[in-house]
Amino acid sequence: MLGILRRILDEAEKIIKKTPILKNFFPVFEATDDFFFATKKTTRFAPHFLDGIDIKRFMSFVIIALIPATIAGVYFFGLRVLLVIAISYAAGGLVEVAFSVGRKKPLYEGFLVTGLIFPLILPPTIPLWMVALGASFGVFFGKEVFGGTGRNIFNPALVGRVFLSLAFPEYFATMWQKPFWGGLGGFVKFMPDSITGATPLINFKSTQDVATWPCLLMGNLPGSIGETFRIGIIIGGVLLLLVKIAEWRISLTYIASAFIVSFIGHIFLPESFAPPLFQILSGGLLFGAFFMATDPVSGPLTHQGRWIYGILLGVLTILIRTFTGFVEGVMFAILLMNACAPLIDTIIINIKFKDIPQVEEA
Amino acid sequence: MNILTFKGGYRFKGFTGRAANKLITLDLPSTVRIPLRQGFGSTLTPKVGVGDGVKAGQIIAQDDKLVSSPIHSSVNGTVTKIEKVNYFKRSIDMVTIESDGDPGYEKLAGATKEWEKLPNQEIEELIYKSGASSLNREGIPTSFKSSIINSEEVVDLIIHGISSEAYNASLKTLLEGKNLYNFVEGIKILKKIMPKARIHLALNSRKKDIIESVKKLTSNIEGLKIHALYSKYPQGYDEVLIPTILGKKFPYGYSAANIGIVVLMLQTVLHVYDAVVRGKPLIERILAFCGQAFKENLHVKVRVGSSLADILKDRLFTHFKHRVVLNSLLTGVELADLSLPISREFSQIIAIRDDDLRRFLNFMRPGFHSDSYSNTFISQFVKVGKIATTNLRGDQRPCIQCGYCSEVCPVDIMPTVLDRYIKLGINETLMRFGIFNCIECNLCSYICPSKIHLANNLKDAKTKLIEAGCDNSLCILPKFNLKGLDDYKGVKNLR
Repeated sequence: MLGILRRILDEAEKIIKKTPILKNFFPVFEATDDFFFATKKTTRFAPHFLDGIDIKRFMSFVIIALIPATIAGVYFFGLRVLLVIAISYAAGGLVEVAFSVGRKKPLYEGFLVTGLIFPLILPPTIPLWMVALGASFGVFFGKEVFGGTGRNIFNPALVGRVFLSLAFPEYFATMWQKPFWGGLGGFVKFMPDSITGATPLINFKSTQDVATWPCLLMGNLPGSIGETFRIGIIIGGVLLLLVKIAEWRISLTYIASAFIVSFIGHIFLPESFAPPLFQILSGGLLFGAFFMATDPVSGPLTHQGRWIYGILLGVLTILIRTFTGFVEGVMFAILLMNACAPLIDTIIINIKFKDIPQVEEA
Repeated sequence: MNILTFKGGYRFKGFTGRAANKLITLDLPSTVRIPLRQGFGSTLTPKVGVGDGVKAGQIIAQDDKLVSSPIHSSVNGTVTKIEKVNYFKRSIDMVTIESDGDPGYEKLAGATKEWEKLPNQEIEELIYKSGASSLNREGIPTSFKSSIINSEEVVDLIIHGISSEAYNASLKTLLEGKNLYNFVEGIKILKKIMPKARIHLALNSRKKDIIESVKKLTSNIEGLKIHALYSKYPQGYDEVLIPTILGKKFPYGYSAANIGIVVLMLQTVLHVYDAVVRGKPLIERILAFCGQAFKENLHVKVRVGSSLADILKDRLFTHFKHRVVLNSLLTGVELADLSLPISREFSQIIAIRDDDLRRFLNFMRPGFHSDSYSNTFISQFVKVGKIATTNLRGDQRPCIQCGYCSEVCPVDIMPTVLDRYIKLGINETLMRFGIFNCIECNLCSYICPSKIHLANNLKDAKTKLIEAGCDNSLCILPKFNLKGLDDYKGVKNLR
């Protein structure tokens, strides 16, 4: 079996290298080849052996951690979710391939995560063409214009979503569908019937109603595709923290500061500030805290910076939710803090490494 | 007992192929080649000529004017050749001696069991004449210019047996039987020649039985402190040991001797005992054979100057390619040319598989044998034995700012930030970010998920900075009162 696959790849390589047009698409072949078979390169100098982890494994763990939320998304909102994910991968992947061919650089793995996170933060009623538009917009303006993987300032999935929510606000304001509940749910249906309801956060804004926490944990309330099943998000998120892929400092401080700010706010202004537990268990706060704020590329590098980043994220999220016209603050909070991350790092690094001491004249 | 440690670092544990607690003596080699630069010191010129008969233990190179220690013939026989050979990137004289098969050796004159009655000068002479004074990074100070400072100037003496690498020589084997008493006796000898020094004995905190027995034996030595240290890499480095034990700052880029501290390894103390009490010159070393490519992992006693090919003969597996590395997998040199002889600096020889197989779906495997800083491999929970191979374990990718390198850095600099600035151009900003604090432990290169050669890039940038005239003396000299600087300049590039 393996021998056959190896031979197919070897033959394909020969053909691609010979044909002038196909030669441009060598990065695509290279990525496929690297996906199936690990490198044969060995270390050339000390250290003579290396840590087992590589970026492929790093990114795979994020995908593994997202599995519970994805399955729940399908259960709540029907098999159409799978189509949405496929389109997101295809559209964003095309932009990624175009850039890697143009730059003559290998195709990197970062998009594997973006392509899955992006559909999970969309409303279930989203038209398929909009998914394609948002995914390609996010990858193009969120990542590639800055120079590709490792150089992006913003989280590409959030750039895609913020573009869609500003260009087509109606889909993000009112068109929230009630999820399937009971039996096989969405596993046997394509999409929910057109009964629309309001998300718990919208409900609170208009009526000050607070959903109960068991409902919020189970996720059988309207919301984005992947953000409602919070038990699964917590399980996946804690897994990521335990394997050291996501930074525990960011997740912990984000959730803690959101809790504290809403706790204090709720004492003084109970009409505008929702109660703390409800704040944390509603909207995309948990999803954002575990999977998006912890994106290492767009977040700060220093430990101290990560503490500050997490605290400010929590404060901003609650303030946006409470005092602005937007019901959901996670997206804007993370994007704003992404923009601040390099500044936070620079300040911390400059404090840590002060000027070189000058020798005084004797 | 209170366990000391430092910020950063990484503990290598559970590798297969660690040297077992077994010591064998290898046969006498038929020819030896003695490099005339071994351990700490300058290159020496030979005192013997081709055709001369030499005895094992006879000094064949000595220069009391240079910072150096004598070098001996390690076998009885005749000198057949003296030639310049490229040995670890230096062209040095190498004396070839054909052995006559007699395993005896010439004892040092004056060695006695009642060493306490000898004056310091004579003890120092014995240590110097035996060659033991050239071991470790700054040698043992004697009045014969074996180190850059004098023995009276030593404030602290650190003796360490911390096994923080993936593969180490076993403390148990080194201190087996009588050696434990000899070791304690060796400490007393060192104490006598360095009267002002406080003695610190740093041992691996996991070897509780050794700590206990050493504690009992050393209780009557005045001013000796035993420290249990967590065996995180790179705890064995001087730059990390001194801040951990003494709480002092280290003048990075200089040597511990410059601040009056001498750091010795365990085996060195045993050589000191051998020299002073038994009159045995440094003609034999105990080496640990580690790594998966060895048929049997054990310790061997070999004569200095035996060729690698001889001592490795029939000991390595032949059904796969292997790479032989000296002393450390993280910082050691690859021993590509097996015709080279071993010198007194050798303590471990590590042979690992040169792994160029393309494994199917490697990144999805559970990883029973993989070592990783992250917890993404099952080997963290199921102990089957990790295997070190030379495979890159992934493709090189841009930095994703995971921050692992800053977390493990033992001297608290940020390798990835430095790397970013190096790409922008070599200038003084790098000095502000502490590039000269880098102790080249290579841990950041090891840990990087993007497989970036961080440590190597930093090293290159340091060389370029020095070429451009930026020296770290600006950062160091105003803060420290360094001793022996003139001599240090002369022997700077020892490591």
